[in-house]
Amino acid sequence: MKKIYFTFILFFAVKLLHAQVSKNISVNFQQATIEQFTGELETKSGYHIYYDHAQFDSLKITLQVNNQPLESVLSQAFHNTTYHYALFESKMQVFLTRDKEIRTQPAAGYFNVKPGQTQPVAPSQVIDFTTAPVKAPVIESTIENKLYEVGIKTNQLKAGKASVSGYVKSAKSGVGIAGAGLYVANSGVGVTTDQFGYYTLSLPRGKQLLIVKGVGMKDARRQVMLYNDGDLNIELQDQVTTLKEVKISADKVANVRSTEMAVSRLDIKSIKQVPAVFGEADVLRIVLTLPGVQSVGEATTGFNVRGGAADQNLILLDDKTIYNPAHFFGFFSAFNPDIVKGIELYKSTIPEKFGGRLSSVLEVTDREGNKKNFAGSAGIGLLTSRLNVEGPIVKDKTSFIFGGRTSYSDWLLKLLPEEYKHSHASFYDFNLDISHQIDKDNNIYLTTYLSKDNFRLNSDTTYNYSNKNANIKWKHNFNSRLYSLITVGYDGYKYDISSSANPVNAYKLKFGINQTNFKTDFTYYLNRNNTLDFGLSAIYYKLNPGTETPNSASSLIVPDKVDDEQGLESALYLGDKFDVTPDFSISAGIRYSMFNYLGAQTVRTYAPGLPRTPLNVLDSTAYSGGKVIKTYTRPEIRVSARYNITDDLSLKASYNTLAQYIHLLSNTTAISPIDIYKLSDPNIKPQYGSQVSFGVFKNAAQNTIETSVEVYYKHIDNYLDYKSGAKLVLSHAIEQEVLNTQGKAYGVELSIKKTTGKLNGWINYTYSRTFLKQDDPTAGQLINGGAYYPANYDKPHSFNFTGNYRITHRYSVSLDVTYSTGRPITLPIAKYYSNGAERVFYSDRNEYRIPDYFRSDFSINIYGNHKVHQKFHNSWTVGVYNLTGRQNAYSTFYQQQGGAINSYQLSIFARPIPFINYNIRF
Amino acid sequence: MTCKKPITLAPVATNSSYLVVDGSINSGDSSLITLSHTVNIAGNARSNPELGASVSIEGSGGDKYTLSSKGNGNYVSAPLNLSSSQKYRLNITTGDGKQYVSDFVPVKNSPPVDSVNYAIVSNGLQINANTHDATNNSRYYRWDYVITYQVRSAFESKLIVINGDTSAFRTPAQQIYNCWLNDTSANIALGSSAKLASDVISKQEISLIKSNSELLRIGLSILVKQHVLTSDAFNYFELLKKNSEQVGGVFDAQPSELTGNIHCLTNPTEPVIGYIIAGGVSTKRLFVDNKSLPATWLPDLSYYNGCALITELYDYIPPGAPAGFIEHQVKEYIYTGIETPIDTVLNPKLGVIATKPYCGDCTLRGTNKKPSFWK
Repeated sequence: MKKIYFTFILFFAVKLLHAQVSKNISVNFQQATIEQFTGELETKSGYHIYYDHAQFDSLKITLQVNNQPLESVLSQAFHNTTYHYALFESKMQVFLTRDKEIRTQPAAGYFNVKPGQTQPVAPSQVIDFTTAPVKAPVIESTIENKLYEVGIKTNQLKAGKASVSGYVKSAKSGVGIAGAGLYVANSGVGVTTDQFGYYTLSLPRGKQLLIVKGVGMKDARRQVMLYNDGDLNIELQDQVTTLKEVKISADKVANVRSTEMAVSRLDIKSIKQVPAVFGEADVLRIVLTLPGVQSVGEATTGFNVRGGAADQNLILLDDKTIYNPAHFFGFFSAFNPDIVKGIELYKSTIPEKFGGRLSSVLEVTDREGNKKNFAGSAGIGLLTSRLNVEGPIVKDKTSFIFGGRTSYSDWLLKLLPEEYKHSHASFYDFNLDISHQIDKDNNIYLTTYLSKDNFRLNSDTTYNYSNKNANIKWKHNFNSRLYSLITVGYDGYKYDISSSANPVNAYKLKFGINQTNFKTDFTYYLNRNNTLDFGLSAIYYKLNPGTETPNSASSLIVPDKVDDEQGLESALYLGDKFDVTPDFSISAGIRYSMFNYLGAQTVRTYAPGLPRTPLNVLDSTAYSGGKVIKTYTRPEIRVSARYNITDDLSLKASYNTLAQYIHLLSNTTAISPIDIYKLSDPNIKPQYGSQVSFGVFKNAAQNTIETSVEVYYKHIDNYLDYKSGAKLVLSHAIEQEVLNTQGKAYGVELSIKKTTGKLNGWINYTYSRTFLKQDDPTAGQLINGGAYYPANYDKPHSFNFTGNYRITHRYSVSLDVTYSTGRPITLPIAKYYSNGAERVFYSDRNEYRIPDYFRSDFSINIYGNHKVHQKFHNSWTVGVYNLTGRQNAYSTFYQQQGGAINSYQLSIFARPIPFINYNIRF
Repeated sequence: MTCKKPITLAPVATNSSYLVVDGSINSGDSSLITLSHTVNIAGNARSNPELGASVSIEGSGGDKYTLSSKGNGNYVSAPLNLSSSQKYRLNITTGDGKQYVSDFVPVKNSPPVDSVNYAIVSNGLQINANTHDATNNSRYYRWDYVITYQVRSAFESKLIVINGDTSAFRTPAQQIYNCWLNDTSANIALGSSAKLASDVISKQEISLIKSNSELLRIGLSILVKQHVLTSDAFNYFELLKKNSEQVGGVFDAQPSELTGNIHCLTNPTEPVIGYIIAGGVSTKRLFVDNKSLPATWLPDLSYYNGCALITELYDYIPPGAPAGFIEHQVKEYIYTGIETPIDTVLNPKLGVIATKPYCGDCTLRGTNKKPSFWK
């Protein structure tokens, strides 16, 4: 409307001028502004030129014309632009307009001109333009039907490609949308936004149609006139009806299009639709529904990805390493569902920027605070309550988001049988994130996380653990092709156990991990076919492997401390995503990692070829602080490739090698809060892993159904298993308690996802095996005689169905069905009578299995009305966990009670658990 | 929510028959070594005794003491005074000719038990021991115990059957109302002062008796026996305890192979179960009277479920019986021992009140002789 209005103003503002005979003119403009351009033309031609300055401020004209009429000059100047001119010869007037053309002649065809016939344009000698020294302003695009001009406008459209970059943001909150897909219509070109919503896309100059799909956002299109490299921010509208779909991926075609294999992206809306045990959406539990992910049981914090151990997962919350991602024996994940934006799980193609863990990277991303308005939400559940508040500090520039959760679970524990009645468990966690836009090219993000758990399991022994994390990220755009992200952070995890029931033995055992991180990541869009990622990272570790102190004045406990461990893990990486052809692309990267084990430390040397026992210690060397005791280096290779056979069928393959320098030592089945972390040292080698995988990806029914088959084979070296009867707590020579093992894992994963429609969800089936082998004779003890034995989490068959059916916009039902083979356990092979009771004799490890696991969960989501502008939005989640009440075995075991051996089964959730959760958003 | 229930596991079919050596080399007392073989876990047999073995204790100085077989796999030595300057080991030759030998173990004599006392905790009676070693040399301890407790029949029998044809009043020595039973430790009690500044064991739990246990109905006397271990022996018994008593829970360690200090010389790869220790034991006794326990603790007397008094007559005429038919119920039920007589009865006719033997005769469970240590 505005433009038409302006056109008419111009039209009526026309000053009448004397007619004058047109004459030929010569001009030579180099990057001329509109003032220079019109001034010279007015002087030379005698015409008056009218235009709206605001519309032309970004135009730069480079043109050399010799002895041609004014009309020809104008025609060449505005050729291929959205600028138009109208020349009224009789009045010696020229009107310049943008987008709208003032026709000086009747419409084409009026005089029988054939359609398609155009005025031939006189050839001109155009001098090649140069990039404008002044950058074009960032274009904020919100409207679909508008043609946005990107880059310094030129009258001549240069051949070749240019790059567009910018942020995809939510129109409502102004927050960047990560993982949004941008595609050029009718071509195979597409990119995904990074964690901040930033993208760079290289495309042919000229008019292009961009299709933008963001998770939880309405699909959008942008018409772009690309002149040159430039910035284009795209604001997307929130999908108001939030019931619509479970989205696995931001991008419906990413399944077949991206080179990544085995990457699962889930947004919080999908996560929230899956029934959770106490009704609160659980980020970690949903990970267990993904193909290739297993856990040893229900009350565990750990998960196992493709046959990897639980400590081989790097769990990142906005680049902060979370060592214990669970609360309350693993029944709640450490991530506040109201703050989380989404998760990504990399289990095969691990980008070269990540390292330090063998199996997977789970990236949990928090939302950015709303940059436009204050908003918040609160949730009340049976055991926990949540509150989150967010809003602008400086509108459109600085925003914060705060989330907090606390528990009140003791009432539930009091309902338990006597043996658990005197237990206590509580936790809280807080997130506070601030994001600030300094200018167009600089953003700063501060993110923090704090959690604390405290529990007592019907005894006087109290357990505490706490995560403390903070980091600052600075994102800087050098230009539209190169940007950097610098991250500095601290991650801490502390845990302690204390008891003061017996004053003589009252003790407190403390453990801790402190790591200080520095990381720079650069992304460089070299050209349309190559995107380079490179950077370096360094982590300085300081571990407290155990300190015992008396916990009362009368305690006789002798203070004992295992020496602090120090280490520096650093890495350099370079990767290239190379699109060889639109149908064939390769991502290849190398990560060169180095680990230095640092003093002060005392290191024992063992007689070569003999078991590591106190008897075989040859020497013990004390190193002073800061001294490099041992250095390990490892080039890690990350390669993946994708070939499209057809538009909706592709083949992918990947090969990855990884190194891990920090180990979790545990001899319990589940990760327990008192497990020990250990750095690699001269006696404990780093774990090395390699994985090859191959996959076929097929989309059907207009990309609404995604299917895939993936196979993998994995090999792990130097995985640490414990010796029989190992004592890990407060061990001053832990290398004497552990064994180096080799692991191998292989499997096939079948997956079908339906991402849209009233019924959506996914079905996964995985066949996988994981074996460990301990055949190093110097270990002194061979587990299972040195043969391969199944790992604790080896569950060959695993099936999962997760579905959501939207009855109306206000009601939806979700069903989750899980089946898996029972995990392996060690059962006794004989019994005997000794020491006053029947005892059992154990032999080979993990020879038997607990019964198969089956569970189904059901929930109904009830939403209040969907009026967009009301103050409060309510929703209820009501459901039942373990609908069939199946008493799934956590473990089966023989136990001596009252002198006799009997077999028992322990179940965690032995009956249906109903839940209700109320959420309010404001 | 969490639930532990008994189940039947598919039996693990093995034919293993490994030698199990139980017992210790005692100083100042006789040593009892029990030899058996492992049995199938699903079987009913508790153990398979090794009957034909020859067993001897050998000192590092060369002295040798042979143990004599007392049947049922038990082999007993004469009381020995072990020398602290020597180490001792056990030699075994089983009936099938296989030779076994333990490692030489040092003699660890236990310091006296300072005290045994009890604490009333929420779910029962906790028996605690306290000890110390002024020389700081003991450090690792193990306790076992024998609890003697009094039981009482559901009904007091005043009559005794004599020669199966008459009854008389019981003398005090013939009473079967109060009996004493023994209960031995099934759980392994271990304690260590290794982390402490001095060798002190305080309030070490020896046993936890549930508040509704029949052991607490009248009173009990517990004899605590204290052994001192080497750290290796301590680790063995700790693992044995974990493997058999602390398994299956969420944070419990996984069961693991257990290697003792006895080896098969004939077949070195054959597992042998057991850990031989040597030394002197110290003991302490504690008496706990039910009167000092909370009145709310009610014993579980389900043993006496189904107990009732029955009147048996000398001449019982069943309804509708042919003329002259008389049933001599006392003879039929009581003199035969099917029922235990309680007392005589006159109403409606002369007879005897009786009950089932398990309800009236506690000697079916224990001894009716009051132990000498009983208060």
